[in-house]
Amino acid sequence: MIDSGFDRRDFLKVMGWGGAAVALSGCGNTSIEDGQETIVSYVEAPDYVIPSIAVYYNSTCAQCDAGCSINGRVREGRVLKLEGNPASAINRGKMCGLGQAGVQHHYNPDRLREPLLRTGNSGETITWEKAYALIAEKLTGVSGEEIAFLSGGVSGHLKALLGNYLDSFGCKNHFVYEALAPAVVRAANKKAYGVEMPRYNINKAKVVLSFGADFLGAWISPVHFSQQYAQFRRGVDGQRGVLIQVESKMTLTGANADRWIPIRPGTEGILALGIINALGTATGDIAAAVKGYDTARVSKETGVPPGQIDKIAAMLKLRSPSLVLAGGAAEGYAHGSQNAAAINLLNQVLGNVGKTVEAAAAVPFPQMAPATGNTAALKSLNDGLAAGKYKVLFSYATNPVFTAPGAIKFRDNMAKAGFKVAFAHYLDETALQADLVLPLDSALEDWGTQVPEYMADGAQINIQQPLMEKLHANTRGMGDILLALIKQRRADDYKKFADYYAYLRTAVLQNKGAFGGGSADDDTFWDETLSKGIIKLAGTKAALSGKAGVAGLKLPAPAEEDGQYPLQLIPSVNISLRDGRNSNQPWLQESPDPLTTIVWDSWMEIHPKKAAELGIVEGDIVEVTSRTGSIKTQAYLFPGIHPDAISIPLGQGHEALGRYAKGCGVNPFQILDAVFDKETGELAMHETRVKVSKTGQRVTVVKDEGPAGAKQIREKIAGQVSTDKVDLSKEV
Amino acid sequence: MKDIREDIAWAKINQDVLKSLENPRKLYWVILFVAIAMVGVAVGCEIYQYNTGMGVSNKNNSHVWGLYIATFIFWIGMSHSGTLLSAILHLMHADWRKPIYRFAEAMTTFSLMTAGLFVAVHLGRVWQIYYALPYPNERGLWPNFQSPLLWDAMAIFTYLSSSILFLYVGMIPDLAICRDRMHGGWRKKLYTLLSLGWEGTDRQWRNFRVTYLTIACFLIPLAVSVHSIVASDFAMSQQPGWHVTSFPPYFVAGALYSGCAAIITLFIILRYVFRFEEYMTLPILKKIVRLTFAISMVWTYLNAVEFASVWYSHDQASKDVLIQKAVGTYAPFWWAMIICGSIVPLTLAFKRFQTNIPVLFAVSLLLNLGMWLERWMIVAPTFSHGIYPWTWDHDQWPSVVQWGMVFGSFGWFTLLFMLFCKIFPSVSMYEVKEMVYHRSQATKKLEATGKMATAGKGAH
Amino acid sequence: MSVSNLLENWSQFRHTHPVDDKPHDPYKWAMSIDLDACVGCNACSVACYAENNLPVVGKEKYAHGMAMHWMRIEHYWDEKLGEEGGSEFPDQGAQFLPMMCQQCEAAPCETVCPVGATNHTADGLNSQIYNRCVGSRYCQANCPFKVRYFNWYDYPTTDNVWPAEMNQQLNPDVTVRGKGVMEKCTFCVQRLNAAKVTAKSEGRIVHEGEVQTACQQACPTSAISFGNLIDPESRVHKQWRAQQVELDKDKQSKDEKEGGTNLRGYRILEDMRPYPSVMYLERVRESAI
Repeated sequence: MIDSGFDRRDFLKVMGWGGAAVALSGCGNTSIEDGQETIVSYVEAPDYVIPSIAVYYNSTCAQCDAGCSINGRVREGRVLKLEGNPASAINRGKMCGLGQAGVQHHYNPDRLREPLLRTGNSGETITWEKAYALIAEKLTGVSGEEIAFLSGGVSGHLKALLGNYLDSFGCKNHFVYEALAPAVVRAANKKAYGVEMPRYNINKAKVVLSFGADFLGAWISPVHFSQQYAQFRRGVDGQRGVLIQVESKMTLTGANADRWIPIRPGTEGILALGIINALGTATGDIAAAVKGYDTARVSKETGVPPGQIDKIAAMLKLRSPSLVLAGGAAEGYAHGSQNAAAINLLNQVLGNVGKTVEAAAAVPFPQMAPATGNTAALKSLNDGLAAGKYKVLFSYATNPVFTAPGAIKFRDNMAKAGFKVAFAHYLDETALQADLVLPLDSALEDWGTQVPEYMADGAQINIQQPLMEKLHANTRGMGDILLALIKQRRADDYKKFADYYAYLRTAVLQNKGAFGGGSADDDTFWDETLSKGIIKLAGTKAALSGKAGVAGLKLPAPAEEDGQYPLQLIPSVNISLRDGRNSNQPWLQESPDPLTTIVWDSWMEIHPKKAAELGIVEGDIVEVTSRTGSIKTQAYLFPGIHPDAISIPLGQGHEALGRYAKGCGVNPFQILDAVFDKETGELAMHETRVKVSKTGQRVTVVKDEGPAGAKQIREKIAGQVSTDKVDLSKEV
Repeated sequence: MKDIREDIAWAKINQDVLKSLENPRKLYWVILFVAIAMVGVAVGCEIYQYNTGMGVSNKNNSHVWGLYIATFIFWIGMSHSGTLLSAILHLMHADWRKPIYRFAEAMTTFSLMTAGLFVAVHLGRVWQIYYALPYPNERGLWPNFQSPLLWDAMAIFTYLSSSILFLYVGMIPDLAICRDRMHGGWRKKLYTLLSLGWEGTDRQWRNFRVTYLTIACFLIPLAVSVHSIVASDFAMSQQPGWHVTSFPPYFVAGALYSGCAAIITLFIILRYVFRFEEYMTLPILKKIVRLTFAISMVWTYLNAVEFASVWYSHDQASKDVLIQKAVGTYAPFWWAMIICGSIVPLTLAFKRFQTNIPVLFAVSLLLNLGMWLERWMIVAPTFSHGIYPWTWDHDQWPSVVQWGMVFGSFGWFTLLFMLFCKIFPSVSMYEVKEMVYHRSQATKKLEATGKMATAGKGAH
Repeated sequence: MSVSNLLENWSQFRHTHPVDDKPHDPYKWAMSIDLDACVGCNACSVACYAENNLPVVGKEKYAHGMAMHWMRIEHYWDEKLGEEGGSEFPDQGAQFLPMMCQQCEAAPCETVCPVGATNHTADGLNSQIYNRCVGSRYCQANCPFKVRYFNWYDYPTTDNVWPAEMNQQLNPDVTVRGKGVMEKCTFCVQRLNAAKVTAKSEGRIVHEGEVQTACQQACPTSAISFGNLIDPESRVHKQWRAQQVELDKDKQSKDEKEGGTNLRGYRILEDMRPYPSVMYLERVRESAI
C-alpha cells in the first residue's frame, strides 16, 4: 500500500471514508455519468486524493460466497483493480480470477440503471418513489403467508434486517436457494460431526482423499483451500502431501491429484466402504456394516482396480492424519446422502476427526450467520407458486429462472405469483419475468457485512464498503432498499436511520465490545474497522459431536444400464462460470477452462473411447437429450471422464444477463431431471441420464490449445518427476 | 541457326524498335485498364487493412507472417533476371543477351518497386515506416543494425537505385536515337531531357563503356547480397525450417531461376506483340531456356541439400517441419512447388520443346508459380508447426485481403512494364547494332580464314 | 545522432549473453514458478488482464488465434495417454504451465526488430516500446516460446472491448495499445518503476517483497516467486541457488553430472540459448500410489 506521508489520522480517514467522502468531493453528489464523459482532475481535490497516487480500500468480494477480503486500488476516484487483503485468514492476500473480475461486475455496461416497471417484454423507467409506492400498494391487505422472499445466500446485517422486514408481515416464507450448494454434505456433516461446515485442515493432512470435492476450483472456499493445498504440498514434517481424487469427471482438483481415479458414477459410497473394509481397523457395528464390501466386490461395482483400492488403504494407514472429503460428485445422486455418510464414516475410522476435521469457530450472532439453502427450498417455493399461493414474490441474489432444473418448470410457476419484484444488478432471466425490477448498487459500491459460511482461522465478519462513488445515479444498495421498505412497516423503529450506512454503523458500534473495540471511542473504532475491512472474533467453537454411525447407512447397488438413455450427464461446475451469475464478465468468458481450454461457449466432454464408439469427433454438434429436454453443443474428446458419462459445464446458455453472456453456449440446468436426494430433498444433479446423437453439423472448437492436443511432443516444456527421484529437502 | 541475322540494316533496327513506341492498339488499352483495375483491388485492400488493422489479413499470433513476406521475396527474386542478363552475362561476354537485356533490366527495376510495396503493406503501422531510416531525431535513435529486416531495407534501396541507374545509363544512346527520330510533342521533350545531350562522340562512347562496366561489376555482388540478405531474414532466425545455412545461395538460385522464367514469359510476349522476331530470335530463346534449365537443376540440388541436411541433423523440430510440409496442411502446395520447380523444367531438356513457344510460355508461368509457392512454403509451415507445440496452428489460410494484394501486385508490375514498353525502347538498339556488326565481322573472318570461330564469342 | 557515439558504444547496445554472475546491477528481475503448486486456476492470467489493460478479443477473434493473454496457462497430459503402453485415463492428473515472456537475457526477439522497439533494460527485462514499434512482427516470428501478442485490430475502438464504464477500469499506469503494435508480459514494469521511484526517494534499492507482479500477487498457492536475482535475500535468488540453475549457462552443471540431478529446477528450451529469466520447478507426483 502506498503511503504518501500524511499522518495517521488522515491515513485512517482515507481508509475509512470510502464512498461517502468521495461522493462529497465530486461535482455535487452526482455520479460520473452526469455531465462529463471524460475524467478530469478535481479543481479542488480533497487533500488525500493526489493524482497518480493510488488509495487503497478494503472490502469484501461478492463474486462467490467464500467471503474473501479484497483490497481495492482506487485512483482519481475510480476503482481499478482488486487485490487480496493480507489480513484476512480466509484468503490472506490472494485472489482468484473470479474475484479479479469483480471490477467487470461493477463497470459492466449492461448494468441496470433505473427502476423498471415491466409489462411483457418491455419495461418503462419509473422513479424510486413510485416503485416503493407500488410495492406498498401491492402489499396492502396481503397476509404474511401470501408473501414469499426468495434470495441467495445472505448473511450479516442484511440478513438481520431482512429478517426484521419479513417479521413485520409475520412472513415466514424466506426461501434461500443456492443453485450449487454442498447441501447434502452439510446435512451429512451435521449428522456425522454435529456442524454443517467443520474446518477441513488440508494443510495438516498427509493424504487427502477427495471424492469429487473440487476444493481448488469451485468448492466452498477455493482460495483458502488453495493456500492450504500449497502448504500441504510443501509437506507436514517434510513429507509432501498426497492427493487422491476419486470422481467420474475430472475437476480442476482432480487434474492436480497424484492419483486420479475414474469411478463409475454414483458408486463413491461403495468405494468408501470398500476402503474401510480394506483398512481392516474398524470394529463393532462399523466392521459389520462393511463386511460385505470386500475388494473384489467393490472393484466390480465401482470399476476401480482392486490393487488400487489396496494401495489407497495402505497409504491412508501409513500416513496419518489424512483427510477425506465428500464433494459434488458424491452427493449428486438420489442416494447422495448415503454416499456422503459413507465418506464421513471413513474420516471417523481413520481418526481424522479432531485432527484434520475440526470444529470451526462460529460468529456469536446467529442472526448474522449465513442463511444457506438448496434446491429443496426452491422446490418448496415452486410448489407454492404452482398452487397460486403467493400474491407477492421478492427475488434477490438468485436467478432461478436460469438455474432451476427444467423439470420443475419454475418460470411458468413464477408467472402465477401476483406481483413479482426482482432486486438485481442486471436484467437476468429472473428479472425478465418480474413486474418490477429495482437496480442495485454493485458490490464495489455498497455497504454491508458478510459472514462467510466457511470459517478459516477463528471467526470473522467481513466488512463491505464502497470503493468508489456510485457509477450510476439511480441504483441503490440492497440495505438502503430494505431500510426504505421496512420504514413503510415500522417507521418509528427505523426512522432514526437516514440510510443503511447509518444503520450499519449504529449496529456495529452497539456491539463494539464484542467486536474487540473495548474502550476506543466510536469514531476511531469505526474508522479502524473500515480500514481493516474485517472484524476478527474469537468466536465460539462448538466441539464436534455426532457420530458417523452406520445407522441408516444403506447404499444401493450401482444403477442399471438404461437402454434408452445410456449415458450419465455430469453438469460440471467450473472455476469461473459456476452457476452462471458471472457469465457476463468478459474476462471470465475469455479465460480458458483449465481442463479443456475452451472459451466463450459450452461443450460436451466425452471419453475418446466412447466417442469412437459413437463416431463422434471433436467439434461435432451433438444433441444431448434427457427425459426433460434436449440441448445441442459441440463435442470435445476428453480423457478425464468415465466412458459412461458425459459432462457439460453449467453457467452458459444465458438468454439474458447482457451482451457478454447472451447466446454463449447452452444451459444444462434446463434438461436436468427432477430427481432428488431421498434424505435432504436436494437436487440430485448427477442423476440425469441422457442419450447423445450427432446432428451432422460440425464446428471448429474455439480453444487455446492447438493441434498438438496438450502433448509436449518432443520438447521438455512442463517437467514432471516422481517423489522417489527428487530431493525436496533442500528447497527454499 | 544464327542468333541474329547478320545483314540487318541499322536503319531497319531503328525502325523496328521505334515502331514499338507508336500509339498503342486497342488491346493495349484494354490490358492496361485491367492492370489498373488489379492495382485498384490491391489499393482497396490496403485501405481496408490500414483502417481496420492487420487482422483482416487473417494472420494470427502463431502465424504472424503471410503472403506479404512470401510475395515480397518472390518479387525480389524476379528482380534478379535483369542483373543476371545485364551484368553477369555482360561480364561473360555473352553477347546474345543484347537484344533482350533491356526489358529484363526494366523487369528488375519494376520487380523491386513492387517488392518495396510489400514491405510497406506488411507492417502493422505503415505510417511509421520511416523509423527504419536513420533520420535525424532528438532521441539519438538509430534503427537496429542487427536486424536482417533492416539489412533488407538498406540492401533493397541500394539495389533499386543501382538498377534504375544501370537501366537509365544503358538507355542513353537509345534515348538519343529516339530524340533524333521523334518529331515533336511530349516524347521529343522527354527524350531530349533524358538523353543528356548524347551525340555519340568517341569520348562519350569511351566514358559510356567505362561507366556501364563499372555499374555492371558493382551490380553483381549487390544482386547476390540482396537476396542473401533476404534469405538471412530466415536463416538468421532460430525457427525450424528457417535456420539453414544453405538459405542464402538457395534463395539466390531461386531468384535467378524466377528471373529467367520471367524473362522467357516476357520474351515470348514482346516478341509477339512488337513483332521482334528478328531480334528476339529463337536461338536466343533456346539459350535462355537452357540457362533456365541449368538453374532449375541447381535449385533442385540446393533444395535437396536443404532436405538432406535437415534429415541427417539432430534437430527434431526441423525434421518435423519438413515432414509437415510434405504431409500437413500445406502439403498440396508444397508438392505443387516440387512439381513446378523440379519436374516441369525437365521439359526444357528436350530440344523439341526448347523453341516451342506455347509450351515454353506455359512452362515459364508454371516455373514462376513454383517459385512463388516456394516462398510461401518457407513462410507458412514453420509458423504452423514451430518449436513450441502449444502454439501450433494447422488451419491458417490467408484472407481475401492478402490474396487481393498479391493479385494486385501483378497488376502493378504489368502496369509499370506496359508503360515502360510504350515510352522507352524495349530492345537496345545500339547494342543490337553492335551485335550484328561483330557477328558479321566474325563470320567474314571465318570465311576468310576458314577456321571455326567459337560461336557466340566476339568483341562485345 | 552521433555516429561516433554509435560506434563507441556498439558493444553495449546489444547484450549478447551474460558472462558473469552479476550481469545487471543492482537489479536483475527474475521469476521462479513451482509447477507442483500451480493448480491451473487461471487467477494469474485474469489478474494480468486487469493490471495491464489487456483487451478481450471475443469468440470470433479468439477462434482466429488472436487472443491476447500475456500469461497463458498451458495444460499437458502424459505423453503416453491414449497410446500403446499408456493409460486411457490421465491417472496422474494434468500438468499446468503458466507461460509468459521469459525475459531472455539473449532474447532472439531483440536482435531482429528493424527499428529497435525491443531491447534489454539495465535491470534485466526485455522491454517493448510501443510507440517505436512499426509492426513488422519479426520479434514474434523469432520467439521460440511464441509469447508475444500482436494487436491485429484497434481494440480501443472496437465494439464491446472497452465500452462505456468498462473503460474506467483501465490502469492509467499502462499504455492502452492501438492497432499494429506488438506487446507481451513486462513483469509488470509499471509496478517495478513505481517501487524503484519510491526506493530511490528514500535512498535505497527495492527490498525483497516490496514489489509483486500482478500474477504473483493473485496466485492463491503462491506458486510464483518474483524478485531481484542479485539480492541474496530474495526468495528468487535462494531458489535459483538451491536448484543450481545459473542464468548465464545453456547447460547447467547439475545436469552434466553422472546420473543426472534430483533437483527439480529447470528452464524451458534452455538449449536454444535464449537464457530465460524464468525458472520452473518440476511438478512432483507421488510414486507410492
